[in-house]
Amino acid sequence: MVGKNCFAIASDRRLGVQLQTIATDFQRIFKIHDKLFLGLSGLGSDAQTLHQRLVFRHKLYQLREERDMKPETFASLVSAMLYEKRFGPYFVQPVIAGLGEDDKPFICTMDSIGAKELAKDFVVAGTASESLYGACESMFKPDMDHEELFETISQALVSSIDRDCLSGWGGHVYIVTPTEVTERILKGRMD
Amino acid sequence: MSRRYDSRTTIFSPEGRLYQVEYAMEAIGNAGSAIGILSKDGVVLVGEKKVTSKLLQTSTSTEKMYKIDDHVACAVAGIMSDANILINTARVQAQRYTFSYQEPMPVEQLVQSLCDTKQGYTQFGGLRPFGVSFLFAGWDKNYGFQLYMSDPSGNYGGWKAAAVGANNQAAQSMLKQDYKDDISREEAVQLALKVLSKTMDSTSLTSEKLELAEIFLSSSGKVKYQVCTPEDLSKMLVKYGVTQPPAEA
Repeated sequence: MVGKNCFAIASDRRLGVQLQTIATDFQRIFKIHDKLFLGLSGLGSDAQTLHQRLVFRHKLYQLREERDMKPETFASLVSAMLYEKRFGPYFVQPVIAGLGEDDKPFICTMDSIGAKELAKDFVVAGTASESLYGACESMFKPDMDHEELFETISQALVSSIDRDCLSGWGGHVYIVTPTEVTERILKGRMD
Repeated sequence: MSRRYDSRTTIFSPEGRLYQVEYAMEAIGNAGSAIGILSKDGVVLVGEKKVTSKLLQTSTSTEKMYKIDDHVACAVAGIMSDANILINTARVQAQRYTFSYQEPMPVEQLVQSLCDTKQGYTQFGGLRPFGVSFLFAGWDKNYGFQLYMSDPSGNYGGWKAAAVGANNQAAQSMLKQDYKDDISREEAVQLALKVLSKTMDSTSLTSEKLELAEIFLSSSGKVKYQVCTPEDLSKMLVKYGVTQPPAEA
């Protein structure tokens, strides 16, 4: 979700196989660099592998260009990597959030074969995505500061994942401003 | 003498030498020197910059020091274009290891893998060897801080202090005299600057002619590769008494 000169990215913490819960502290949001975060929902193994491949590409980019990747560039990279597997795709839906030039917030999501969807306010992905769309649409206001943004994204996340049987076990929220990154754990319905 | 045996890299001479490899080392002997010193809390790399025209666009990038991965860096002596290829290869190898094993590549393995690449060009393909010598400095959790020197033949060795490039014999003997096993990082910087100032050909020694990089553990325990800024380098040169201002034209 986009705020005033800041952004927030949040996920639930459940890793499950249909009805069985495997882990209740699964890391779904990854830091690429201080101002760029990637959330990967969908198949756990594909999420981890895709993240490792992206770290590979980003580290080489950093060494060669001697600077961090811009969020827009990173989104194009993710999209290209997903389309490479057009006929045997990664079963993931990425959510990319970062601070671009002049610390302007950038968010986007894409489907599992790389169709980018840019938005100015919020993007959602996962099994509870329909519920999240509704919650975000009603709770979102433009130009929120980082504290209000945290409240809003937390409420939208918790209310949606509590109603979804495949998501849950709390939430993980990252609030990123140009100067710092705050990570918080939310308590929701633990089931 | 044995002139008919030196035009192909892939054959031995009657005396059992690989002439192309030796000629490659000759090429490095004319290039800017680099010195590496291993200390108990870090590794120090110092390089002599050969290209110091005022017209050169000095951006943040360095001429002699390159980062291979977060925990490994190298200093270069020899043909820069050859070096760029090898540095790129080393970077990709390090990332491939991290992708497969999800941990940083051990320094010796990285050096070995790069040297295997170099060796390939001395045995098959009919291509000339790379005219570069490297000083690799890095840290891993198995062996701590390490310094390796590699040459065009694909040979490498672990060193406590090493020199490559112009006047490396003189630099190496000076290092042998003054190096102590429990040297600290600051003392290592001092020693490196002193040795380089004595072996450099040029008449003046300013921070524009040198590059200094260090690998050490930061206070949070993470490996850090840091290139010294020209201002700090100037101050250090004055502090250690090795600076020589350029002669008035």
